[in-house]
Formats: sequence, C-alpha cells, structure tokens
Amino acid sequence: MKKMKRFLALALSCTMIFSLAGCGGTEKETKTETEATTEETEADDKLVNDGEYEECTIRLSWWGGEARHEVTQAAVNAFMEAYPGIKVETEFAAWTGWEDKMSTAFYAGTEPDVNQINWNWITAYSSDGSVFYDLNKASEIIDLSQFSDESLTECTVADKLQGIPVAMTGRIFYWNQTTFEKAGISVPTTMEELLNAGQIFKEKLGEDYYPLVLNEYDRMILMVYYLESVYGKNWVEDGEVNYTQEEIEKGLEFIKLLEEKHVTPTVMQIIGDGAESLDKNQKWMSGKYAGIFEWDSSANKFKGALEAGQTFTVGDYFKDMGDYQGGFAKVSLAFAISEKTEHPKEAAMLINFLMNEEAGVKAMGSERGVPLSKKALELCETNGLLDATVAEANGKVLDWASFTLDPMFEDAGLKGNPDGVYFDVMSGLSYGDYTVEDAAAELLDGINGVLSK
Amino acid sequence: MKKWVKRNTGLLFILPWLFGFCVFKAYPFLSSLYYSFTDFNLFKGISEYGFMNYKEIFTDKDTISSLIVTFKYAFLTVPLKLAAALFIAYILNFKIKGVNFFRTAYYIPSILGGSVAIAVLWKALFRDDGVINSMLGMFGVAGPQWLSDPDYALFIICFLRVWQFGAAMVIFLAALKGVPTELYESASVEGASKWKQFFSITIPMISPVIFYNLVTQLCQAFQEFNGPYIITQGGPRKSTMLISLMVYRSAFQQNEMGMASALAWVMFIVVMVLTVISFLSQKYWVYYSDEDGGR
Repeated sequence: MKKMKRFLALALSCTMIFSLAGCGGTEKETKTETEATTEETEADDKLVNDGEYEECTIRLSWWGGEARHEVTQAAVNAFMEAYPGIKVETEFAAWTGWEDKMSTAFYAGTEPDVNQINWNWITAYSSDGSVFYDLNKASEIIDLSQFSDESLTECTVADKLQGIPVAMTGRIFYWNQTTFEKAGISVPTTMEELLNAGQIFKEKLGEDYYPLVLNEYDRMILMVYYLESVYGKNWVEDGEVNYTQEEIEKGLEFIKLLEEKHVTPTVMQIIGDGAESLDKNQKWMSGKYAGIFEWDSSANKFKGALEAGQTFTVGDYFKDMGDYQGGFAKVSLAFAISEKTEHPKEAAMLINFLMNEEAGVKAMGSERGVPLSKKALELCETNGLLDATVAEANGKVLDWASFTLDPMFEDAGLKGNPDGVYFDVMSGLSYGDYTVEDAAAELLDGINGVLSK
Repeated sequence: MKKWVKRNTGLLFILPWLFGFCVFKAYPFLSSLYYSFTDFNLFKGISEYGFMNYKEIFTDKDTISSLIVTFKYAFLTVPLKLAAALFIAYILNFKIKGVNFFRTAYYIPSILGGSVAIAVLWKALFRDDGVINSMLGMFGVAGPQWLSDPDYALFIICFLRVWQFGAAMVIFLAALKGVPTELYESASVEGASKWKQFFSITIPMISPVIFYNLVTQLCQAFQEFNGPYIITQGGPRKSTMLISLMVYRSAFQQNEMGMASALAWVMFIVVMVLTVISFLSQKYWVYYSDEDGGR
C-alpha cells in the first residue's frame, strides 16, 4: 500500500514536471529540396492584371494603437465594398508580444496572407526569401512606380522584393513646450541648451522634473546619433561595428553626462515609475518629463498622452554635436504577402488598395507615417489628411538624417528587454554596474557577436 | 470481437488521454531532448549537433545568474507560502465567528492565480509613487524603489506568489479536519501546551499533506512565468530573470529552439532531483497513519 502510494505520487509529480521540458522545439527543421524546387516553379508565375479576381477570403494582420485599428478597419471595409466577393479577415493587437506571435506563425506557415511587417523582419525571418512573396511578380497589380527605387531596394533581400514600404522614419526630439515655459526657458535647439536645461529644471521646478526622458533603447539610438555626428561614419559597416572601443567610450560618456547634468532620469527612476512605456508614464503625461527622442511616426501617441493644456512641439536636430549630420532614416513598416498564400493576386490587390488607391489612402491617412507612395502622398496633401505634427517631424528627419541603418540594429538579441545587449549595457552603465570602459567593451563584443551569427 | 472489447474496455477508456499524452506531452518532451543537442534556430535550421548548449548554460554568466535567481525564488517562495497557508488554515480550523467568510476571502487570491490583471495591479501597487509607498509616506517613511532596485524586485515577485496561498490552505484545512480530536484531548489531559500539541500532534499528522504541498509548490515555483514577465520583465539588471523567462526569450524572441530546449531540460533535471530528494527525505519526517506504528 505504502509503495503504491509513493509510486502514484512520483508518477503525478513526473507528469507535472514533464511540462517544464516539453515546451522546447517544434516540428519543422529545414525545407526539403523538393519543397524549395516546387516553390521556385510557382515563383515563375507573374500575376496578371486582367481585371478579374477570385472570390475568396484573405487575412490581414497588423499591430498598432486604437487609432490605427480604426483607420485600417475602415480601409478594409472600403476594399470589400470596392471588390465584392473578396472577404478580408483582420487580426490586430498592440505591439507588445506581437513579434513573438508572428515569428512563430512565420515558422509554422500559419501567418495571414497580408502582413504589416517591421523592416528588419525581412532579414530576420526571410533572409533566403522563403517567408515573404516576391512582390516583383505582382508589379502589374501593385503600382510600384509610386515608390522610389531606393525605398524598394531597402525591402529587397535575396533578390526578392519582400515588402512594400509604407513610410520612412527616424528619431527626433519632441518637447513639452509648456514645461519649458514654466521653467522660464525656450525648448532647446542645441546640446548646450539641453545640458543647461537640466540644472534649470532642477532648480526652478524641482528634483523630479527632467527636460528629456530616455529609456535604454532611446539611449542607444541617441548615442549612435551623437557618434555619427562626431565621427561621420555609419554605425555598422560590412557586418561589423564601425567604431573603436575608444570612440564608443566617448559616446557612453555623453550618455552618462546626460544623467549627471540632470537632463534625463536614471534607468532606475524610469523603471520605478512602473509604466509599461514612456507614453504611458504618468510623469510624461503630467509634464514632469518634458522631452523625448522618438520615431517621427510616434508623435501622436506621445502628444495624445499629455494632459490637457500642454503644448507638444517637434524639436530640431542639434547642430553643435559634431561636424556631421548624425542620425538615420529607415523604412518604418512594410506590407508583405505570405509566400504560402493561396491568393497572391487578391492579396496584392489589397496592398495596392491600401497604399495607392484613393479610397484606401483616404481611409488610411497618415496613421502609419507620411506615405512613401507618391500618389498616396499627393492624395493626403490635397485632402488635408496629413497630420501636421507627423509631417513636420518626418520632413525634418528626411532633411537631416544622412546615415544608413543596418537591419540587424533592431535584432531581438540586441534590443530585447532586459537581456538584449543594448539594454544590458545602458542599464548597467546607469545602475553603476559597468564603468564606461567595461560598457564599451560589452557593447562592442555583444553587437559583433550578434552580427556574426 | 465482443470478447476483445470486453477485455480491453479499460484501454479504450484511457485511449483519448493516451493520445493527448503522446501528442502533447511525450512527443514534445522527447523532441525537445533531441533539439537540446542541436543549435536549432527556427529560421536557420540545424547546423551543429553536440553539447554546446549545455556547455553555454554552465559557462555563460547570464544563464548561471538566472539559475541562481530561480533557486532563490523557489527557496523563498515555497517555505513562505506553505508557512502562510498552514498558519491561516490552523486559525481557520477553530470555531470562530464568520469563519466561512474568512476561508473564502483567503482563498480568492489563488483563484486569480497567474492572472495578468493581478500582475498589473501588483506593478501599480509597488511602483515608486504607488499605493504602498504612498501609505508608507503617510507615516513619514520613504519607501524603497521596490520594482527598480535589484535588491527588492525579487521579493516583490515572491510576495505575489506567497499571497496566493489559498489553494494550499484549503488542502491543509482538510488535513487539519482529519486529525482525531482525541489526540488533542489526551495531550491536554497530560498538560501539553498548544505549542507542543501543534508540533507533536498536528505537524506529524498532516505531514503527508505538507509533503504533497511541498512537491507541488516546488514544481510550480520553478515554472513561474507570469509574475516576473509582466511586472519586471526579468529586470532590473536581470534580478528577476527566472529560467522560465530565459526559455521564453530563447524560444520565441531569439528563435533559438535548441538553446530553449536545453534550458528547459536543465530545469527539468533540477526539479526532478529536488523531487527525488524530497521523496527520499520522507522517511525522516512524513508520517503515514496506515504504517505499522507509524514513524
């Protein structure tokens, strides 16, 4: 009886802990040659624009905020009206956790027919062109002439055009003008003014007021902007970091200086605020944090979060950071078709509708940034659909930023929180776990390690 | 045919379970063992076989630190949770007014279990200007930075799990009800204090249940995910980076299924060893009443 009891208890315990190890790998490994050959044969078929289409159901996915969901749903409804017989099922959510979900779907081949993708997803998930459909084959359906060759090249990997770029984006300063006015100063236009603002905020407004708030990833991007301004070279060249350890140390000293001069709160303070992201941080909403360094396309998210009575302004790039115009612009988002779709033509029609056709463009507006499609841009300008703040920020980014970004810059191993290299180095420096020298060495090793994979 | 069916009725009944077990437990379990010896990446396939993942786990400072954090978490949470559950169950075993209300109230947190909403609430409670620090402020005490100070963050995560002691409490309560009252009566007659009665009667009599709770809570603690994922995301400075979070990040953010499988197997072996130790230790402290003379 006793032995039986023990055996049963052991069996039950084993069953419980089985689930620990059972969550590892999955079925598929690499494609067989047969599958690849079949796909190549199918790839030869160019889609023909004969004015006909198949009645079918296609799926569309995207991530974003409430405003993006609304405009995209409206655009999808307009598409279904324009092309009766094609039903579009939508899948959407906020960004958090979205890439984890989609990467699993890309691997399993269960992704929707049309997907909003991040630019770096092309290299991350389809470096051999196996996940996304070659949109060159849809050139009769999607009007590619509306896009510059450069922007299409950015989305061409493995000789396949794997996505249609929606907009270009870059980081820029945004200021809460009201808080600066409260401190008796104007918004900074030079680094010197920003460094002085830290002390003025502290003295006039209090210890918990800061002219700029930067999380770990923001710090990394700002440091690259600073280094590019000083040294005039791309951050990554030929798959390696293009800066020496001494140069990176200079960049990290600059970031440290921002904390020391009370320009930005420490990482510890920001985590202690308990907010999921800066736009949801109470101190940003109330104006205690009076500046951000963010994507131009994110302007409205931060503007909308401010409490009533505060003025949100687009900042200028600082000309006193170095001899060069640091900073980069990159494709913000793209629309891609799944290689596994059974309805490439209808999927391509949906993309063209959203990006080039009047009804689609009018519904979408500039919610995903200032459109790259010439036709869409013209339609937005004519109909007053461009958001003034986003347009101003985007104009400044494209006028200023002169460096390119390696797609691996956004690799999960680098920007993952909290174990990505950027997060580890920037938080370690802020917490005092790393000296500037150690941090630079960690950053260099970590990034080159990821780039070499 | 009829004869065959009659002879195998039991087997037919367990067939659905057997199918589920093979497909959803045994197959992933064994395939993860295979993948743990590969560098399997979802989008790059397999290019290398060997012990490299295991070698990395035991040499990489982040993974070693994560293992230490997981042990700290388990060895803090399990004893505290069992002690809290037993203490409250002991009190609720007395005939006190409104006992059913208290039983329900203490049980509710465990129904909420690993709920995302509770984790979000926890984050709001313990942020720098959250409810806890505001209350401390009313007494003139400046509260610490619970979520952003690496010295405190793990305790906050542990506290969330300890707070959800209701399920263990109910099991203890049932066990306490089963302790014969004559034993207490005899002990009272002999002049034993309540304290003595608790350690000499109550604890030995419910030791099989303590053992059951210990093993199940230990397994759960090593699998904890929701709390640290939502509240601290493994930070600050990886102070709450439990191994389950590393498995998740390796598998679904870095797509390194080989490494994720190896991490999961290391955890499996750790839990298995602890479970075996617990079973072996039974003979020293667990009393089964059906044994001759007990122990």
